[in-house]
Amino acid sequence: MDSALAIENISKKYGHFYAVKNLSFQISPGTIYGLLGPNGAGKTTTIRMVMNIIIPDEGRIEIFGQKMDEKMKTRIGYLPEDRGLYPKMKVGEQLQFLAALKGISKTKARHIIDEWLKRFDLVEWKLKKTEELSKGMQQKMQFIATIIHSPELIILDEPFAGLDPVNTKLLKDIMLEMRDKGATIIFSTHRMEQVEMICDHICLINKAEKVLEGNLGQIKRDYGKNTVVLDYEGDAGFIQDFAGMEKIDDYGKYMEIKLREQTDPQELLQLAAGRLRINKFEVKEPTLNAIFIDSVGANHAEDISGR
Amino acid sequence: MRKILAVVKREYLQIVRTKGFVIGTILGPVLMSLFIVVPVLMSIVAVDQQEKLGIVDSSGQIYADLEKKLNTHTLKDGSLRYLLEEYRMTADVDSLRESLNQKVLEKELNAYVFIPRDIIEGGEAEYISEHVSDFEKNRSLNSALNSVIIEKRLKGEKIDPQLIGKLMMPVRLNTKKVTVRGVEEDTGGTFIIAYFLVLILYMTLIFYGQAILRGVIEEKNSRVVEVVLSSLRPFQLMAGKIVGIGAVGLTQYAIWTVFGVLLATQGGALATGFFPQAQGFAIPSIPLYIFVYFVLYFILGYFLFSTLFAAIGSMVNSEKEAQQLMMPVMMLLIIPLLLIMFIIRSPDSTLSVSLSLFPFFTPMLMLLRICILLPPFTQILLSLVILILTTLFMIWFSAKIYRIGILMYGKPPSLPEIFKWIRYR
Repeated sequence: MDSALAIENISKKYGHFYAVKNLSFQISPGTIYGLLGPNGAGKTTTIRMVMNIIIPDEGRIEIFGQKMDEKMKTRIGYLPEDRGLYPKMKVGEQLQFLAALKGISKTKARHIIDEWLKRFDLVEWKLKKTEELSKGMQQKMQFIATIIHSPELIILDEPFAGLDPVNTKLLKDIMLEMRDKGATIIFSTHRMEQVEMICDHICLINKAEKVLEGNLGQIKRDYGKNTVVLDYEGDAGFIQDFAGMEKIDDYGKYMEIKLREQTDPQELLQLAAGRLRINKFEVKEPTLNAIFIDSVGANHAEDISGR
Repeated sequence: MRKILAVVKREYLQIVRTKGFVIGTILGPVLMSLFIVVPVLMSIVAVDQQEKLGIVDSSGQIYADLEKKLNTHTLKDGSLRYLLEEYRMTADVDSLRESLNQKVLEKELNAYVFIPRDIIEGGEAEYISEHVSDFEKNRSLNSALNSVIIEKRLKGEKIDPQLIGKLMMPVRLNTKKVTVRGVEEDTGGTFIIAYFLVLILYMTLIFYGQAILRGVIEEKNSRVVEVVLSSLRPFQLMAGKIVGIGAVGLTQYAIWTVFGVLLATQGGALATGFFPQAQGFAIPSIPLYIFVYFVLYFILGYFLFSTLFAAIGSMVNSEKEAQQLMMPVMMLLIIPLLLIMFIIRSPDSTLSVSLSLFPFFTPMLMLLRICILLPPFTQILLSLVILILTTLFMIWFSAKIYRIGILMYGKPPSLPEIFKWIRYR
């Protein structure tokens, strides 16, 4: 089947500055796709170009094999990075209005809205003005507005920003449910643990350009299972001289050893077995966080962990 | 189309429910009522006051006749309008004047008239009062004095007293107005109506223009615009907003019309009910054709200005920032207001015609001209064509700015940037 979203060589320039440069990726239907990158990498610009809010200078974007048009908008749910609702409108009326913009009839919308308000624990707020809701509640309301018309393609720009752990889980569960019903979801974030939990594919962009792309498991495998965690007793100084070692973090009783590519961890195990008392020897996949920092550069580590 | 209707409905309900709309809608009829009641009250209060008038007749020939003439003026209850008191001329003129001035200041007299010795030979009389701006009073006093003195002069020329009465017959000037439907009596209501309608047009254009401006800024500030634009195009949003708020304007006009019709048919009874003296006071009524043009020019003027307000709203982040950009637009609305007197004085001059054909002035000035002289239909048609073409151009122009501006935050664009926006595809 065709891809749900295909982006081909898009670029957007502001003056001499590239917001997005020659970016391409494709999303298969029924998958969750993570768009990762540090602040200012070009995630939001990419999403806005998909939504036809910003017109790319070059390149093509196709959604379900077609160009974006007005009809297509009813098949897409979009949660912008800048959250916004009419402050003076009542919660129920506002959702009715946003549903009407997606072409949903009044009676049908009323039913769906009640269901979602119940699920998000907002029923008693239905007749209140939107501005009376807390920020978190407004976020949930905005998410309802995004998926109210059961869109086939859901585009979420930083969906988890500002949510507490309970609501983060609720949102994640709903995203997985929607995927299982056949929806395609693309979302941007810089929170790695969420990506690891729910994404099938990722695309990592940095400074307007694609750095990494593909199936999440594949990326990790390609990165190599070359980190060893050793829990030990004894003098481990000899490991410094081990030829296959690239980097060591020694904490006295615990060390993380990054091995060179092509080095078999078994060699290290055999070497260490005779000289140390080993409590634990684990060969690990690198975390996405490590891959991210590795790809983007250590100078960005701070803004990522700061989030 | 259904999406635009959803926007129209939202905008309509949002405004109709605001206090501003409710107050404005109620205040309109209240102002209309005042418009009827105040002139009635004024005519009652202003006229029904007795005047104490001191007369110093140095010539000694005028007082008796003047008193006879002024005694013909009576108040509604039949008492004398002017109460005269004669002061003898003394040798010391200055001290006499001084004491009379004092009486005026102490309100013992409303005014006094100083008639010089040579009044019949052409000397000038003087009227001294605290307030000298009551034209009605000045006129009746002046004409009484005038006829007394001219009679004296004629008698001095030995003219038959019988003949004098005939010669002194006053001339009456009845003002009438010619329109395409024939000659009509003009009660003076025409100017009031013209002024009134133009003022309403001015106020509603500003009110609804600002409602648009506020709406656009609110959407931008609350960042809801990007959500809405994920469902429709910027132009659809702008169009829905303008039509929705315009519909509010028409609703308000409809309410006012109902009230106005009630006032026109029942208002006379109402006024005389409260003030029996107001019997026979003509309530100015608005001819139907003027009303039709009024609504037409409101609709067209509204579309013209609302697109401008929408474009301005999209360029700024707050109403405060909007003030500066609104200046030129406000000028386009205020200048016609300042031109009203000029147009009324010479409604058919080349300058008046050209001004009323300038599209931004057309709604107010062409309406004004229609009220006071009904210009040739070709002129009206021409004004409509120019207005509609300009409006279409402004919709195109504003939509280009709106589309970009609505998603731009930060400092408002400079003029070259605006032109760049228009050239974007």
